[in-house]
Amino acid sequence: MNALLHRTNCIASTLLEWITVLLMVGLTVVVILAVSARLMGQSFFWYDEVAAIMLAWITYYGSALAALHRRHIGFDSVLLAIPPRARMLAVLVGEGLVLLFFVLMARAGFQVLEVLQGDTLTSLPWVPVQFTQSVIPIGAILFIICQLLSLPDYWSKTARGISLEHAEIEEEVETEMDKNKERG
Amino acid sequence: MLMLAIFAALVAMICINVPIAIALALAGVLGLLATEGAGSLVTIALDMYDGSTKFSLIAIPMFVLAGAIMNAGGITDRLINFVSAIIGFIRGGLAMVNIGVSLFFAEISGSAVADVAAMGSILIPQMKKRGYSKELAASVTSSSASLAIIIPPSIPMILYAASAGTSVEQLFVAGVVPGLLGAIGLMFVAYVFARRYDLPTEEAFNMPRLRETFMDALPAFSLPVIILGGIFGGFVTATEAAGLAVIAAIAVSVWYRQIDLAHLRRAMLDGGMQTAVVMLLVAASVLMGGFLTRAQIPQQLATGILNFTDQQWAILLILNFFFLVIGFFLHSAAAIILVVPIVIPLITAAGIDPVHFGLVVTLNLAIGQQTPPVASVLITACAVARANIWEVSKVNVWFVMVLVLVLLLCTYVPSVPLFLVEYFYR
Repeated sequence: MNALLHRTNCIASTLLEWITVLLMVGLTVVVILAVSARLMGQSFFWYDEVAAIMLAWITYYGSALAALHRRHIGFDSVLLAIPPRARMLAVLVGEGLVLLFFVLMARAGFQVLEVLQGDTLTSLPWVPVQFTQSVIPIGAILFIICQLLSLPDYWSKTARGISLEHAEIEEEVETEMDKNKERG
Repeated sequence: MLMLAIFAALVAMICINVPIAIALALAGVLGLLATEGAGSLVTIALDMYDGSTKFSLIAIPMFVLAGAIMNAGGITDRLINFVSAIIGFIRGGLAMVNIGVSLFFAEISGSAVADVAAMGSILIPQMKKRGYSKELAASVTSSSASLAIIIPPSIPMILYAASAGTSVEQLFVAGVVPGLLGAIGLMFVAYVFARRYDLPTEEAFNMPRLRETFMDALPAFSLPVIILGGIFGGFVTATEAAGLAVIAAIAVSVWYRQIDLAHLRRAMLDGGMQTAVVMLLVAASVLMGGFLTRAQIPQQLATGILNFTDQQWAILLILNFFFLVIGFFLHSAAAIILVVPIVIPLITAAGIDPVHFGLVVTLNLAIGQQTPPVASVLITACAVARANIWEVSKVNVWFVMVLVLVLLLCTYVPSVPLFLVEYFYR
């Protein structure tokens, strides 16, 4: 069971990592092209709209990835200070609230997609708005999946009183120390 | 009453470690349900999409990416050598080097944790070897990294500018003088410690050595030249400077032959994830902001405080205290997104310059990074130094006092942060 979960986590992480990297590459290329063009006295009419859409996509695909690695900004000092039984109950409530929000967001996202049928981008009329705004329901569903996949690890660490932020810091420090050792 | 209930729900959710972005969004949904009914829930999708498409925030992923590439690109070692050649002859030279390099380096990436881990893991072990206590080494690294939050480019400043509807370029310029003053103050405290504990100098001042290290670090200086020169000179906007910074960071790292595709992919990934975490907060704040606007909470707060006092110094004192306390418990991005939209009408009504106030907010949050329970920068420095956070805090309090003095100076002598802004923009 653990092996299956680990494997699923790895697959989800790799997939989302590649999507996030490709979106970042795309946004970087678009911004650099637009800046270079502007400095040469030209401007792309589609730049503002396309760059803003790419930022939205990075937000939601990257957020799902951050949920898988539990990297969203939180505050766990109070949670870790309360007695174990109450703490785990609070974890359940907290996780339930997160899932509830993304269920609502996915539902609202699908409703908006129906309404937007036939609309296109202002600067690029051949791109349907349904395509660009699909990131909301898809992002919400991905977030739910990632939150559930990372729950067992979060549950186990919180039960043992380990702060996720501190664990992340330790990991970061170890990586840098290893890099320095390699450099000699 | 409704506002109190929603605020209580928000605090309760944050206390049980619901990610702050989601807690904020859920509080907004509660407000939406209470004021507009269940039929309005479709707004969630619209607000969460609009909030994540703020064009001015495209500077964030670009600066984050430039910082991540710099972290991976071998720039740190060269900067350390160069700064050491300039100020390494002073007693406690390694502490001075630490502060000097931090100003250049930290906070660019938006992840102070990554920056402190990268730079601290090189400098702290060296400092310990040279006789510095681990507490002093961690304190110098941590406080100087937090000061760098006000040196451009700064992600919290970009967020503040977007939240307050003010100029990010002016805010960047406003940070320069206080940042330099703070660095001088931190170096002075480090020097006092160095005299007290008889800490060594690093290297005698030597012109050929300075020239050699300067030439080695020269490509890395293209980054501040592009960012500061471009913005100060009015050639580029903050977003454009961020795009150019990415090109420069890649070019410099390729020049140093210390970056490959795997490093670049890692940098893109770190940049993407950092951006997503901040942008989800921004998007969620639109949901909450909609409710606050409908309920006219910021206006009520402004009226309430202005009825109590209309003196600028008193309002700034109240807000300083408020942001200082908030900084103890929230990360800078969350604090800015949560609080700035609420207090901006008060700032406007009191006639306080929003650029001036932006610097005050950012400095408060820099101090907050040094004060537990939420003190990610301090915790990272302690983890690198293998030091106890409370023991480090006893030493760090002297460095934090410098930051507090800079804060008071900037709060009550507005010309300190605004002098360059007036010169370049007004």
